[in-house]
Amino acid sequence: MKALCWMGSSKVEVHNVSDPTILNPHDAILKITRTAICGSDLHLYDGFIPTMEEGDILGHEFMGIVEEIGKNVTNLQRGDRVVVPFTIACGNCEFCKKKIWSACDNTNPNAHLMEAAYGYSGSGLFGYSHMMGGYAGGQAQYVRVPFANIGPLKIESDLPDEKVLFLSDIFPTGYMAAENAQIQENDTVAVWGCGPVGQFAIASAFMLGAARVIAIDRLPERLEMARSIGAITVDYSEEDVSVLTALKDLTGGIGPDSCIDAVGLEAHSAQLQGIYDKVKTAIMLETDRPSVLRQAIQSVRKGGTVSIPGVYGGLLDKVPFGAAFGKGITMKMGQTNMHNYMKPLLERIEKGQIDPSYIISHRITLDQAPEMYKVWRDKKQSVTKIVIDPWAA
Amino acid sequence: MSKSLNEKPNAEPLPVGATAGVILNGRYLPPPEDKDGKMWVRTSALIHVDAEDLYKMWRDVESAPLWQEQIESVTRTGEATSHWVMRSKSKDKDKDDTIEWDSEILKDEPGRRIAWRSTGGDSDNAGEVVFEPSPGGRATMVTVLQEFRMGKLASAWETLVGRNPKQAVIENLRHFKALAETGEIPRTQGQPHGPRGMIAGIKKSMYDEETTTPPGLDRKAS
Repeated sequence: MKALCWMGSSKVEVHNVSDPTILNPHDAILKITRTAICGSDLHLYDGFIPTMEEGDILGHEFMGIVEEIGKNVTNLQRGDRVVVPFTIACGNCEFCKKKIWSACDNTNPNAHLMEAAYGYSGSGLFGYSHMMGGYAGGQAQYVRVPFANIGPLKIESDLPDEKVLFLSDIFPTGYMAAENAQIQENDTVAVWGCGPVGQFAIASAFMLGAARVIAIDRLPERLEMARSIGAITVDYSEEDVSVLTALKDLTGGIGPDSCIDAVGLEAHSAQLQGIYDKVKTAIMLETDRPSVLRQAIQSVRKGGTVSIPGVYGGLLDKVPFGAAFGKGITMKMGQTNMHNYMKPLLERIEKGQIDPSYIISHRITLDQAPEMYKVWRDKKQSVTKIVIDPWAA
Repeated sequence: MSKSLNEKPNAEPLPVGATAGVILNGRYLPPPEDKDGKMWVRTSALIHVDAEDLYKMWRDVESAPLWQEQIESVTRTGEATSHWVMRSKSKDKDKDDTIEWDSEILKDEPGRRIAWRSTGGDSDNAGEVVFEPSPGGRATMVTVLQEFRMGKLASAWETLVGRNPKQAVIENLRHFKALAETGEIPRTQGQPHGPRGMIAGIKKSMYDEETTTPPGLDRKAS
């Protein structure tokens, strides 16, 4: 089959590799019909995530048709159309029982690597470094799905792939971000980052009762998209705009009830602190660039909530913890507990409450993917979301 | 397999007071420290399976190769004794060698505790596993205490698979837990990948990915 492989920093290539096979009794093999490039794939592309190996197959947002099942998969049949969550969960451990699926104890074959680096291990993920399990990803024509009795969501209606594909990661991730923001009726919510997760966080914040959502980004196409679903936008790159002042001005001086950091470790900042973080990460005194997190903590109202769906990987410098303590804020974060959200969000799509395909800007073949990684990383061609048909020529 | 094993002295039983337990008279007991050539490792797991079933799974020594790394075979030689064969690295780089030892169970408390030691052969090891209800009883806490001298067993692990032998004990309990809770051991060996680069071998070894994941078995279907 054809598969997109990570070959080093800023280097991805399409290679012919062997087809996946059933390795465990709860495995399924999918023929992939649609897959997407995620913003978090760019962290891999940029070499920010350790324990990648040349030849690793990327991709954790995908859906397809069940081609083959292991002998203990009872809920799926050959021919079923399914969306697969990017986190792999066993369904039986302490954490799955508590519905903290992304903390599953039994799905990461390389748990020792993560324990060595972080002191704990989360669940295995598709196509996201050896530390996170080393599972081959889904930017390919076929994929092996372990624990297929727990994860895959069957799509029984005739909804097109593009409307349900994002149940694999970014729609639930944006939704959980809004849920973590503890939004009360008529709250004001600020969202940093209007990429796909930010978009779904904005949409979900409205669904959960927010009266005003303030969206912060610098790319015109993203801000336009945020306005199209009802947000008020702040372009932080404009010379006379201070995000902190803007958020005060838009909230009668108290700050947003909830702040959502949908940017994470590779935040850009035009200010002096942006340069400071760039230098410190370059000389390895800091691993992440947390300028958005700093702003979120500084601007959230007293007693408010900061929700962090953006990915962080390591050590953060100059996080204003005194303000966090002084204001008595709540912070909620973490990998998405996918399995809690897929079904309810599918129902919302089926009822027509949201059509997640509105974020798609590019539809490409697998062979075009290496070029499009670069285009997206460099924020060219107004990319908002890239969807791949791995069988298109 | 009836080789006579007499190369080394018998391992001593675990000393009293250095059991797998972590609490004594309300106080936390730290694990024993390495000394006099003895290495200790204590590790624990919270498993959502009844203590009784976990005990049976552990006690069925002949099934150990299904979840313990590098164990080729275990043959029962009596009610409480067994013969173990483990893969090891040979001087001839192209093929693996084996090391072998006999083992006996010293304490066997169904549903609660098993203690064992080697009685001859290439390995000098002793260990204990305790199964107890977790606080409030919602799951089973499994604690393993294993002791070995840095003999052929420990060096076999280290040279063959790049696993520190202490880590091997931790990984084996992890495999045991996954198998008990899900009916399989998570694995990626055998999946497709693109061309590995020049340093793939080094990375693989660095990431400790060279050990063959034990096959697991399907307890839920049986």
